[in-house]
Amino acid sequence: MSDDAELLQRIRAGATDEFAELVRRHQARVFGILHRYEHDTQRVEDLAQETFLKAWRALAQFDGRAPFENWISRIATRTALDHLRRDKRRKNEIGFDELGEDALDWLRSDDETTELDSRGAAEILDLAMRELTPADRVVITMQEIEGRSVKEIAAATGASGAAVRVRAMRARTKLRRALEKLAKL
Amino acid sequence: MNEKKIKQLFEAARLETLPAPPPDFAADVLRAVRREPAAKPDEPFSIFDHLNRLFPRVALAAAAVIVFCAVADFTASLPGVEDGAAQVSAQILFSAEGL
Repeated sequence: MSDDAELLQRIRAGATDEFAELVRRHQARVFGILHRYEHDTQRVEDLAQETFLKAWRALAQFDGRAPFENWISRIATRTALDHLRRDKRRKNEIGFDELGEDALDWLRSDDETTELDSRGAAEILDLAMRELTPADRVVITMQEIEGRSVKEIAAATGASGAAVRVRAMRARTKLRRALEKLAKL
Repeated sequence: MNEKKIKQLFEAARLETLPAPPPDFAADVLRAVRREPAAKPDEPFSIFDHLNRLFPRVALAAAAVIVFCAVADFTASLPGVEDGAAQVSAQILFSAEGL
């Protein structure tokens, strides 16, 4: 099994079919990133395809100094950001009908020992993050859920490190307010 | 909503099972790639290509700055209304023939 650099070299030399292998290697990562921002399976698939097509179109710009997975992750994040900006249905559509019973219990409970499963957490965050701007959402998701560094977020979003820090702080405050608002409903 | 609860929320969200791509996803992407009309992955795209692309804009901006500077310089060198009036007065008052 050759590494990405060799594979890319063959693709650049005209072996278009090899691009499928590159997709197979990185598709799980791309789906994982996109799923953080969109839960509809079909939409995630469309966005993943958009991500790889963008990568294909810009393949000649990939200089190979950083791993290909970093580059494709950046493209996936920007695709997700564009999607959030396009997707207006998310605005002002907060409703409890989208939350499961466990998530509702956790949200309304003051008891810190109440357990919350990953699905419930995703539901709550998805709902609360609709109060955030797309850029705020991307920053807080990358920092708190994906565990990325400020440097990585800055590279993915095209912002400076200082701007990312400020945005992350503001986004966290907004998210806290949105969660409090949800808990009071 | 205290900090501990927010942390708990993020920790739980991190454990979410991420969806697996469909088995034929890579083949679908490849089909889409083949439909791409302008895909030229083997063309080099260096810093010089970027500069070449940007050149008309850079040249236009430079030309605009030069024109602006020339106009500003010309305007500054023109005599003002006061200078003009003084010159006309001098010509009339101190001319050899007078009025």
